[in-house]
Amino acid sequence: MNFSGIAVTTKPEWVDAVAQGLAALPGVEVFGRDAASGKLVIVQEAASVADEVAGFKAIRSLPNVIAADLVYHYFADDTELVSAMPDDLSALEGISVPAELKD
Amino acid sequence: MHLSRRAFIKSGIAASTAATVGLPIAKLTEAAAAEVEKDWQWDKAVCRFCGVGCGIMVATKEGRIVATKGDPKAPVNKGLNCIKGYFNGKILYGKDRLTQPLMRMKDGKFDKKGQFVPVTWEQAFDEMERQWRRVYAEKGPTGVAIIGSGQYTIQEGYTAVKLMKVGMRSNNIDPNARNCMASAVAAFMQTFGIDEPAGNYDDVEHADTIVLWGANMAECHPILWSRVTDRRLSDKNVRVVNLSTYHNMSSDVADLEILFKPNTDLAIQNYIAREIIARNAVNWDFVNKHCVFATGPYDIGYGMRPTSKFAYDAEKDTQAKELRVKLDRNEAIAQRRQAGEEVEQKNAATADKHWLIGFEDFKKAVEPYTLDFVAELAKADPDEPLEKFKAKLRQLADLYIDPTRRVTSFWTMGFNQHQRGTWVNEQTYMNHLLLGKIASPGNSPFSLTGQPSACGTAREVGTFSHRLPADMVVNIAKHRETAEKLWKLPAKTLNPKPGSHIVKIMRDLEDGSVKWCWVQVNNPFQHNANANHWLRAAREKDNFIIVSEAYPSISAKVADLILPVAMIFEKWGGYGNAERRTQLWRQQVPPPGQARADVWQMLEFSKRIKLKDVWGEQSVPGLKEEGFPDGKLPSVLDEAVKMGYSPEDSLYKALFATPDNLKVKWPDPVAKGHDNHIVSLLGDGWFVEKALFEEYARFGRGHAHDLAPFDRYYDDDVRGLKWPVVNGRETAIRFNEQYDPYVRKGAGIEFYGPAMKALPLGNLDAVTDPAPKSLAGKAKIFFRPYAAPAEQPDAHYDLWLCTGRVLEHWHSGTMTRRVPELHRAVPAAQLWLHPKDAEKRGLKRNDLVWIESRRGKIQVRVEIGGRNRMVQGYVFVPWFDEGVFINRLTLDTTCPISKETDFKKCAVKVYKA
Repeated sequence: MNFSGIAVTTKPEWVDAVAQGLAALPGVEVFGRDAASGKLVIVQEAASVADEVAGFKAIRSLPNVIAADLVYHYFADDTELVSAMPDDLSALEGISVPAELKD
Repeated sequence: MHLSRRAFIKSGIAASTAATVGLPIAKLTEAAAAEVEKDWQWDKAVCRFCGVGCGIMVATKEGRIVATKGDPKAPVNKGLNCIKGYFNGKILYGKDRLTQPLMRMKDGKFDKKGQFVPVTWEQAFDEMERQWRRVYAEKGPTGVAIIGSGQYTIQEGYTAVKLMKVGMRSNNIDPNARNCMASAVAAFMQTFGIDEPAGNYDDVEHADTIVLWGANMAECHPILWSRVTDRRLSDKNVRVVNLSTYHNMSSDVADLEILFKPNTDLAIQNYIAREIIARNAVNWDFVNKHCVFATGPYDIGYGMRPTSKFAYDAEKDTQAKELRVKLDRNEAIAQRRQAGEEVEQKNAATADKHWLIGFEDFKKAVEPYTLDFVAELAKADPDEPLEKFKAKLRQLADLYIDPTRRVTSFWTMGFNQHQRGTWVNEQTYMNHLLLGKIASPGNSPFSLTGQPSACGTAREVGTFSHRLPADMVVNIAKHRETAEKLWKLPAKTLNPKPGSHIVKIMRDLEDGSVKWCWVQVNNPFQHNANANHWLRAAREKDNFIIVSEAYPSISAKVADLILPVAMIFEKWGGYGNAERRTQLWRQQVPPPGQARADVWQMLEFSKRIKLKDVWGEQSVPGLKEEGFPDGKLPSVLDEAVKMGYSPEDSLYKALFATPDNLKVKWPDPVAKGHDNHIVSLLGDGWFVEKALFEEYARFGRGHAHDLAPFDRYYDDDVRGLKWPVVNGRETAIRFNEQYDPYVRKGAGIEFYGPAMKALPLGNLDAVTDPAPKSLAGKAKIFFRPYAAPAEQPDAHYDLWLCTGRVLEHWHSGTMTRRVPELHRAVPAAQLWLHPKDAEKRGLKRNDLVWIESRRGKIQVRVEIGGRNRMVQGYVFVPWFDEGVFINRLTLDTTCPISKETDFKKCAVKVYKA
C-alpha cells in the first residue's frame, strides 16, 4: 500500500471547486484547504504501485489546478517491496545471475 | 481495526504535508502524525538525482526505509519533491539489484568470452589485481583508467583521485561529468579564473528577466522551475524567455519562445552584444573597473580523432572536418572571411589559448551580427514569419538591456553539450559583464548542472584528467608542489601530463592504449556518443573492464567483472549542488547482500598494491613536452624512505590509513546511532568518510573554497552550506564585497580567481605582443564567433537529431526504470517528429520506424504530439532507455576546449520499419 501527501495550488476563488474535483478522484481524500493562499492538502491512496503516478497525473490535469507537489511518500506497509529483495543472493544458488546478464 | 489504522495513517500524512506547506493543522491530526511515525527514525538527507540538490527527510524502521518527504527546512526546495525525488526511497529496492560480484568465467577461471558467474570479493579482487599488474607492467600509468562520476560522493571522488593520481601516478581518471558541464567549467576558468557560479538559486526571486538557453527546466530541474513559475505568477513585471531548438514544456510558461537552429545561439548572443554597443548601453563604469576584452583562435576543430583509421566508411566525410573546414556563407560573414575558403584546423590541440584585445577590435568583431543577418541565420521554424522572429530577437535584447531589469540566465546541456560549448558559455558572461548585471541579487548568469555532485565532487575535488583539488591542475608545477606537500609525498610523485578525458578513454580502449578500466557510479557505455565503437572495444579488444554498479546497466553487461555497490542511503556521503551548497548525510540502512560502498572497494583494492609497484621509475608517453627530458617519471622511492615510507607499504597504508587519518576515530557522536558498514568491514577503527573529508578540505581552506568542519554539516540547524564558509558563515554571492569575504575591502566587485590572469596582447587574428600583462581581479569579455556544426542534414541524412532527458527518468534510467511507477509513466523512449515530416514519410503516431545515422541505426516508435513539439526537419529522442539506444547514432564531436561531447546535433534519416 502506498500513500502520498500532496500539496495542491490553485487560486483562492477556485479552492472549493478544486476540492470537489479532487474528492471525486479515486483514492483521494482532501484533508485541508486554505482559501487565503489557495492551497489544499490531500492524501492519495493507491492500491497498486502503478496507480500512484497515474493518480498524480490526474490530479495535475484537473481544471484550475496550477500546481500539485509531491511532499510525502509512505510505503512502510509495502511488503511486496521487501520480498522482492532477498538479503543475500548468494544464498539462493542457481538464480543469482540476473537474466539480463546471460548473453 | 485495519480501516481505522489506515485512516490514522492518512491523517498523519496529511498533518506532515500540511506542516510542510504552512497550513494550520488540527490537534487531532498532529497526534496522528506522531503516532504513525512513533517507531521511526527520521534523518535529513539529500536527493540522489539532479544537480538542484533538494533536501529530503528519510524515515527508517528496522533497517528499511519506510517513508520519505520533502524537507521543509531545506532552502532549495522548501519541502517539495519532484516526481523523481519522490521515489528516492524506492530506488534501493529494485528486483534486479546486484548484490554480489559477478565475473565472466569459463572452466572455473576468468575468461573474456565467458559467462557471468557469482564470485567472492576475494576472487574478484584477485583477478582485478592480476589484470592490473599485467597492464601496468606493459603500459605503465597510462594503460590504466578510472571512469568516475558527477554522482560520486565527495569522499568517493577524493578516494578515486588519490588512488589514481598519487597511487598509480596516472591522470587517466575522468568523470561522466565531462559530458555534462565541462564546457561550463572551461568558461568559468577562462572568464573568471575560478570555477563555479557567483550567484545562487535565490536570484530567481530577485530577477525581472529570466532567460533559459538550452535548458528545459520544466522537465530537467522541476523544483527550481516551480520557483521560476512562482516568481512569474507573483509579479506582473517578470518575463520568462525560453530559447530552444524545439517547443518543450518550459515554453508553456514562457512569455517569449525563440526557436533557433543548432549552433546559432552563438550568433544570437553576438547580436545582443552588438545591440548593447549600438544602443550605448555598455556599463562603462563596471567594464572599465572590472573587465578586459579577449579572444582566441577559430580554427580549433571539433574534438574528433585526428585520423580516420578507426572510422567506419560512412563516418569519414564528417571526420575529415577535424582537419579542414570549408567555410559556408554564414561562417564567412561571422568570421570576416570569404565563403568557400578552406581553413586548416591548426589550433585543434591549442584551442584554449587566448589573448587580450582592445574594445575597438571587440566592436569590429560583433559588427557583422546585425538583426537581419542573425534572424535569417537563426530562425528554425520555416512556418514562422521572418519579421515576427526579428521582433522576438529585439524583445530579447530589450529584456537584457533595460537598465531597470535584473537578469538571470540559466543554461544546461544545450550550451554545454555543444561543439563550441566553452564559447557559448563565455558569450553569456560577455553580455552580463557588458551590462554589469552579475554578482548582485537577481543579476546572475547561472550554469545549472545535471548531476547531484558534478560541482561538489567532479569539479571541486578534481576528478578530471587535468585537475587536482580546489581548482589546481596537474600541468602547473606550483600546483603539483602544493598538492605533494599537502599529501606528504616525495617531490615529483605526481604525473604532470594530463590524462585522457572520458571520450578519449573510450577511444583508448578501442586503439588499445588503455587496457584496464574501472567504471564507477556511471554508465559510460550507454551515455557516450557513437557507442557502437566502444561496445565493440569493450567486448572484442584485449582489456579488462570492471564496472561497479547497483543494477544491470549496459555498462555492467559489457564488463568483465561487476562489483555490486551500496546506494546513496546505504553509506555515508556528501554532495555539492550547483549553487556551491555542500550537504552531507549519514548511512540510513545497510546495503543488501554483499553490496559494498565504492570507497570500501577502492580501499580494499589499494591494500593489494605496494609503493614499490608504482613509485619506481615509470615511462609516460608525451612527458618530454611537459619538461621531463628523459620522458620518464622519476623513482621517488628513495625520497619516500627518507620520509618514513617503506617500499613494502601498501597504498592503503601510505595514502588512506595514514597516521593522521587513523586518529579520526569511529564511533563518533556525530553518528547519533547510525551505522557505518565501511568502518565495520575495514575493522581498523577510523572514521573513513570524516577523515577523508577533512583531508580534502585542507586543499580549499584559505583558497576561496573553504568548507566547514565535517560535523557542522550534520547539525540540526544546517541544511547544507554554500562555500566559501569563512568564520562559520556561508557565502551567498561571490565576487561582491557585501557577501564575499575574499573580496578586498573597498573593491566593491572583484573577480579574484587566480587562473589565466596574465595574457599577451593582440588583435582579432593573432598575438602582437607576447609579453604577458596582468589582469588580476578582472573578468574577461570574450569575443567568440558563430561556427557551423560539423555534421549537418544533407540529401541522404535529412534530419537533425537532438537527445536529452524527460521528467520521469533520470540519466540512463538505471535507477528510475527500476521504479515501476516511473517506468509505466514513460515506458519506452519515443521519437518526436513534426507532423509534416511524418506526413512526408507516410508515418503516424506509434508507428515503428528506423532512425539511422552514419554510425548506426535503431528502431523506435513515433510521437507527434505531447510534451515536445518539433520544428520541421528536427527530431528528438531521449536517451534514458537502453532499449532505444540512441547513442549508437550520435556523433562524438566535442567542444575542443572543454572536451565535452555534443549530443544535441547530428544528421539522421527516419523511415518505416
